[in-house]
Amino acid sequence: MQTRTLRLPRFLAGGRAALLVVVALLILLFVLGASVSDRFATTGNMLNVYEQSAGLALVSLGQTLTILTGGIDLSVGSVISLLSMLTSGLIAGDEAMVIPVVAGVLVLGALIGAANGVTIVATGVHPLIVTLGTGAIVQGVALLYGLGPVGSVPISFDAFAYGTFPGGISIGATVALALFLLVSFFLNNTRTGRRIYAIGDDPHAADLMGLPRRRILVGVYAASGFFAALTAVYLVSRFNVGQPYTGANYTLASITPVVVGGTMLAGGRGGVIGTLLGVYLVSLLNNTLNFLDISSHYQLVVQGLVIILAVSVYVEKQRGLA
Amino acid sequence: MLSLQGISKGFPGVKALTDVSLDVAAGEIHALVGENGAGKSTLTRVIAGVFQPDAGTVRFDGRETVWKGPGDAKRHGVHVIYQEFVLFPHLSVAENIFVGHERRNRLGLIDHGRTRRDAKELLARFGIDIDPEALVRDLSVADQQMVEIAKALVHDVKLLILDEPTAVISGREVDVLFDRLRRLKQQGVAIVYISHRLEEIFALCDRVSVLKDGNHVATRTIDEVTRDQLIALMVGRNLAELFPVRRSAKAPGPVVVAARNVEVSGRVRGASIELRAGEITGLAGMVGAGRSELALAMFGAIPMRSGSLVVDGREVSGLSPRRAIDLGIGLVTEDRKGQGLAMLLDVAANVSASTLNEFGRGWRFDRAREKRVAEQEIASYRIACRGPSTPVSVMSGGNQQKVLVARWARTSTRLLILDEPTRGVDVGAKTEIYRIMHELADRGVAVLMISSELPEIVGMSERVVVMREGVVTGELSKSEISEEAVVELATRRLAG
Repeated sequence: MQTRTLRLPRFLAGGRAALLVVVALLILLFVLGASVSDRFATTGNMLNVYEQSAGLALVSLGQTLTILTGGIDLSVGSVISLLSMLTSGLIAGDEAMVIPVVAGVLVLGALIGAANGVTIVATGVHPLIVTLGTGAIVQGVALLYGLGPVGSVPISFDAFAYGTFPGGISIGATVALALFLLVSFFLNNTRTGRRIYAIGDDPHAADLMGLPRRRILVGVYAASGFFAALTAVYLVSRFNVGQPYTGANYTLASITPVVVGGTMLAGGRGGVIGTLLGVYLVSLLNNTLNFLDISSHYQLVVQGLVIILAVSVYVEKQRGLA
Repeated sequence: MLSLQGISKGFPGVKALTDVSLDVAAGEIHALVGENGAGKSTLTRVIAGVFQPDAGTVRFDGRETVWKGPGDAKRHGVHVIYQEFVLFPHLSVAENIFVGHERRNRLGLIDHGRTRRDAKELLARFGIDIDPEALVRDLSVADQQMVEIAKALVHDVKLLILDEPTAVISGREVDVLFDRLRRLKQQGVAIVYISHRLEEIFALCDRVSVLKDGNHVATRTIDEVTRDQLIALMVGRNLAELFPVRRSAKAPGPVVVAARNVEVSGRVRGASIELRAGEITGLAGMVGAGRSELALAMFGAIPMRSGSLVVDGREVSGLSPRRAIDLGIGLVTEDRKGQGLAMLLDVAANVSASTLNEFGRGWRFDRAREKRVAEQEIASYRIACRGPSTPVSVMSGGNQQKVLVARWARTSTRLLILDEPTRGVDVGAKTEIYRIMHELADRGVAVLMISSELPEIVGMSERVVVMREGVVTGELSKSEISEEAVVELATRRLAG
């Protein structure tokens, strides 16, 4: 009855070998980029790639959590759009309003997410449908609020997106990085963190074990809403104003790094570090496409291809008909 | 410790438990026996707080109790080892053991070191040699079962329920388990032990309670009951009554379909089976023995890694469900809702589903004809429904099953495979399904019946093939068939 397992270092165990694949792809892409342009492999460009990863990083951090539970949050794009409008609309150029509005927006994001979670738990409808519905509602509210850019923010507000630490290291991207490390620690070292994996792995077993599955789900969707709100604040910092379609591409975009990073759509396997590497991969890919002078519209095409490719690579071979 | 009074529980279309009363004392190992579908699992789930009873009271530890859920029951010391594993395949063994009772340090964070050490110690105490850091999905089924059992010992357990714990373990592992259970008994734990293996019950238990069709039939101390009496209580009716006698039993015809050395990844390891025209063959074995997988592979629904299907002496190439149907092979799957019936469609659509070509050429579809055929089938199989346009979803399990059998009986001219054809079906419908099987055999069709119910295997089969762990361990001719012989082959230790 001896059980033999391939002993990987702990941080790679549990299917996290997918991380190695992403790292390999990052290196490959780096070499490719360097061969395209002399300016690619410079510190300046790499800091640029890092800086531009922040928005995607924040939204896909929350998305990772929902996907780990075996769900998904398709409302994040709309939530970002609405909350970006509320941020600039309510601050309306007034320095004194910045802190209360940002705090309110973050709370509102978490509440919208919690509403998603409660609906999923109470109705038993698949998260895909629930969040698609919420997404449509939120997008509708955004358009009722305004059909174009709303309000403005003080000049200093751009520090989140464009501010740097000494050495030109982006503040926003570093905040995102820190949040990833924090959530990773949370997932690995707290009771709730481990239970997020358990309920994604086998929700039925989780119920029989008496794990608080419903409460955890509500929390996870609230977190996803919170990170969408943070993304909205970041994008307002970047573009100085919120618009009804600011977040439009972020729903699909938030899923790409998650699946590229090895988190299974079926739930229970993966982690945020994979997602972080996935974010850098996407960011590097877009940067490379810029150097190749390819229209930014192709970035969307490439992203679509990448997501299908990633899922098909990681998908487990079906056993029997089950 | 536990006292049930007048527990009843129903589900839409089925009465699972009727007025069941049962006492289990502290320091007692109490066996719960009954045929499949007798209500053992439902009763387990009521005791564990998964289901709320429709009527009746649960007294636990001297107090009347209404569990708020399985977590509540667990906190009060009720632990269940379910037949299907409650394990998280992608968490480690140690994490599985402590999930719900995570080992934490002073900061409230998971103490990975202590989790690992405690798991190791617990497994060692049980004499189990499993790496606590291995992922559960990488363990053998037997090891997974041992992890399930180890999990029970983490808690301060007052009542331990085990549902078929030995289905996937054998020999030394069973001895270790029994030894452990006896020690728990001495510590005053009340144990409910559910098993099909009567010899285990006589070896281990103090008292035995029998459930039949959701009713509590009897409770006896183990000394005052014999094995035969117990079987009589479980079956509770004349076998000949339930299983109709096949009137025109002729000698079986030639082999029409044969599977040779079939391998299906992980589940079937070189199984061969021959099926004769007009003969009803039973395929027996424990859950997970690879019977369903063999059937699915023969039908082309899952790929064979190696081996072949021979029909009328010729090897079939390019096997697929479509090809199998064309060859006159049908398969009534175990999971009639998931893989068999279109639940939202009506009877007519479900009956015609595998013979659509019969009803139209090109883009035309002859609805009137479909309706006529469905009416015929409803009459000949005595399907209880309002008519061909009744949605299948509103029908009882037994009638749903008859619809499914009717569909496949239309196309199966050589072989019909029925996987657990009477699971979740009431007694009347069972007899009806047996009658249909006889009719098919009389028409010269080979019938292969997969069943986990020993009385059904013994009562219906003219020949029995037994599988264990993916290989055929033996074959019994009509005169050799008995429950004991089947169990013996199904649990036989494999050489090597």
